[in-house]
Amino acid sequence: MKTSLLLTLIVLFSGCSEKLTRVMPYEKEHFADPKMSLTPLAARAEQDGHIFLIREASAGGDGAYQGGCGCR
Amino acid sequence: MKTLLLFITLGLHLYAGVSQGDKAPEFTLQTLDGKKSYTMQNFQGEVVLLNLWASWCKGCKKEMPEFFALQKSYTKGFSLVTISVDDKAAKSQNFLKSVEKKTGIKTPFITLHDAKKEVAKAYGVAAMPSSYLIDKKGIIRAVIVGSLNHEEIEALKKDINTLLK
Repeated sequence: MKTSLLLTLIVLFSGCSEKLTRVMPYEKEHFADPKMSLTPLAARAEQDGHIFLIREASAGGDGAYQGGCGCR
Repeated sequence: MKTLLLFITLGLHLYAGVSQGDKAPEFTLQTLDGKKSYTMQNFQGEVVLLNLWASWCKGCKKEMPEFFALQKSYTKGFSLVTISVDDKAAKSQNFLKSVEKKTGIKTPFITLHDAKKEVAKAYGVAAMPSSYLIDKKGIIRAVIVGSLNHEEIEALKKDINTLLK
């Protein structure tokens, strides 16, 4: 009884094994595709972030440009 | 207790990649154009730097021109064997063409295609790119995870020269 329970648990938990569910480094071709990025244009996203910070009267923190003066 | 130890051992075995001192796993792969087939046996008696790369990997883009120069600096006894894990060989071919254009050097090493990722699995590649320095007897002497810059390639040359003696 104990052995069969142990074996059942092992089979069930093997489904959660990181090795079985993890995408290996050499399998990341599709993740690396540019169309998988959240924003297609990185430079445009930085600019949008900057404008958002100015509009919301935030003072920088984005790191992409300087403070929230809107001068750059 | 014994059962627990057995399962821990099996679990750890799942994560095992090759390491220094191991025999380099055997493989049979075709070149990118599919015209020729190579195995590890083809490189017996040579010092081999086995590099696993992909056209989508940023580190590979950085180190590939260095590899062109590295193979160019050896005429005998050393073979750089690169294995692409791209799904399609055409992507790898285009990538190499762009490096050829950049360096002005025709691809000086053998490039094999591992579309099924069998070699990557056998070597337990932990990150892309990964390189393995293999001695004349087929023993892995160094496992290099990540891309190599010019200085690191120069240091690697010293290891290669030691193994060539």
